[in-house]
Amino acid sequence: MQPLERLINLVALLLETRRPLTFDQIREKLPAYGHEDPASAKRMFERDKDLLRDNGIPVEVVSTDPWEVESGYIIPKDRYYVPEIAFTGEELSALFVAALSPGEDTTAEQGVRKLLYGAQGGVLVGRSIAPVAAPDAAGGRLTAVAEALLRRRRIRFRYRTSRGAISDRDIDPWGLVWRAGHWYVVGLDHDRTEVRSFRLSRLASEVEEVRNGSEPPKGFRASDHIQTGPWGPGEPAERAHIAFSPNAAWWALAGVPGVEVKPSRPDGWMEATVPYAEADGLVGWVLRFGPDAEVLGPQQLREEATRRLEELVGGH
Amino acid sequence: MAATERRRPAKAAERLRRLLVMVPYLVRHPGTKISEASRLFDVSEEELVEDLQLLFVSGLPPYGPGDLIEVDLEDGRITITMADYFARPLRLTRNEAIALYLRGTSLAATPGLRESRALSSALDKLREGLGPESLEDVAGRIETISGRGAEVLDRVRAAAAAGERLEIDYFAASSGQTTTRRIAAEEVFSSMGNWYVAAWDMSVDDERLFRLDRIKAVRATGERFERRGLAGAGRPLYTASHDDVEVRLRLAPEARWVSEYYEVTEESERPDGSLEVALPTKRLEWVARLLLSLGTSAEVLAPPELRDRVSELAGRALERYRGAPPG
Repeated sequence: MQPLERLINLVALLLETRRPLTFDQIREKLPAYGHEDPASAKRMFERDKDLLRDNGIPVEVVSTDPWEVESGYIIPKDRYYVPEIAFTGEELSALFVAALSPGEDTTAEQGVRKLLYGAQGGVLVGRSIAPVAAPDAAGGRLTAVAEALLRRRRIRFRYRTSRGAISDRDIDPWGLVWRAGHWYVVGLDHDRTEVRSFRLSRLASEVEEVRNGSEPPKGFRASDHIQTGPWGPGEPAERAHIAFSPNAAWWALAGVPGVEVKPSRPDGWMEATVPYAEADGLVGWVLRFGPDAEVLGPQQLREEATRRLEELVGGH
Repeated sequence: MAATERRRPAKAAERLRRLLVMVPYLVRHPGTKISEASRLFDVSEEELVEDLQLLFVSGLPPYGPGDLIEVDLEDGRITITMADYFARPLRLTRNEAIALYLRGTSLAATPGLRESRALSSALDKLREGLGPESLEDVAGRIETISGRGAEVLDRVRAAAAAGERLEIDYFAASSGQTTTRRIAAEEVFSSMGNWYVAAWDMSVDDERLFRLDRIKAVRATGERFERRGLAGAGRPLYTASHDDVEVRLRLAPEARWVSEYYEVTEESERPDGSLEVALPTKRLEWVARLLLSLGTSAEVLAPPELRDRVSELAGRALERYRGAPPG
């Protein structure tokens, strides 16, 4: 008999039995264990039972007599079966598409297949029908962080900042935020004793759970702590005055948070003020537009842009 | 793709997992095509049939004819009976539930996605249905910030579906210019929070990817086009070709993010924490602009003409800073 057949029969048996079955009873009923000598059959059964458990099948051991001398095995139906959830065809298709987005981690895919059984009328769809968003490369680490977040555990990991500095971080995860193709975990950073955000694709190690973590303060919103401008992290404190060429302005200024656009100049250029926290990041963003953008003020920002351009003229 | 890797001969545990998920679907959907099941459960038709043949001899004690699972394979269709205990699959593991929820959440945040509404209600049902064991109060703890919408999304999609050429005003990050092009849009897809369209650009007679939020305006042309089968979803945003230029850069620690953001083919770390990367590209213009914003935190190792371009571009930008600001 093939091992797979034995395993299927064992699952069916333990799922359908009303009372827990002792190993001897299982042996009587399931020929696969009956043929071997009792000791090796028992070993085979133990291995099978472990394999079932490793694959998420809840094999329970319960006493079969009031004196707790003998114990039997059973798979409780309510723990085994996925709960009935009435998804519409559209909903299932959408979940299926999400789960099958490109990425190395197939956990979500395995999950969604367990829900397909309830699909009404074969409405299911393949990979090609919908546009697919490539998820963050964070994969298994993302699930580990989410686990810790939901169970309020403190975690430790190595982190490489966007500026390349590597350090170990101890944080209480308070929220996960998806933005522009990346997942961020936001939480209390214990070394810095303040709320920080970390992009999961920059984790430089596995995620280790350390101990129980803390609860976020009331009204905490993780998304408030994710930088949204193109000019670096932190609270914007000042406003920069920038001009864009007619070619670049519409795109450069669309969707910039906190932007105030002035009436366009006679030469067609558009001037605007944008909030910024960090001169470095803001100047970098403006220079990206080359001759199509100009920092007008404050003066010190303009000087910074000038200095950086001068360094590049004549090669480096 | 991982799918081909998974086609190696499966172990008993793997086949068991698959059967416990597949059989419930087949019990509930009598007459499912083998090809359909193969696609849904990402298993080859041969493996599928092999697995099902094993089911014939499985069932409940005493394993007589009336106790075994009945599998009917006829005209390429599958019907499974006598397996009511396998009419519902095994629960999602906690990790599966979380991973699925996160994937769904991130996809639902894509602005303009047709499936967004269905996806959001599916996620609500999933959260409530799976109960506290899997997804306890996940709602307040997982958030999304939607990216820039693309106003032209629906128009481009409609044109792609109808096979009609469009005229677009497009902002090219490489040149900083907004230019008018005529395109045959084939497939619209979303990647890393942005919408793209894979299209044939008539003006250069070549394949191009356009980011939809950079399209300023769309105009109908009334011209039809034949699809060339350009790849869309799942494709890398950059595809190598033999006429690419290989740019080599040394990135100081504060510019290392470049290696994450763009497709680099080689990467080696120096003792001082800087990174040497190879960045193949079709055009140097956008790299020059990138270098302008990176300043001295990036150094061009090759090609030499890139250095000249950066210097020339910086010179032109610098002209604006001579003297007092206008106004």
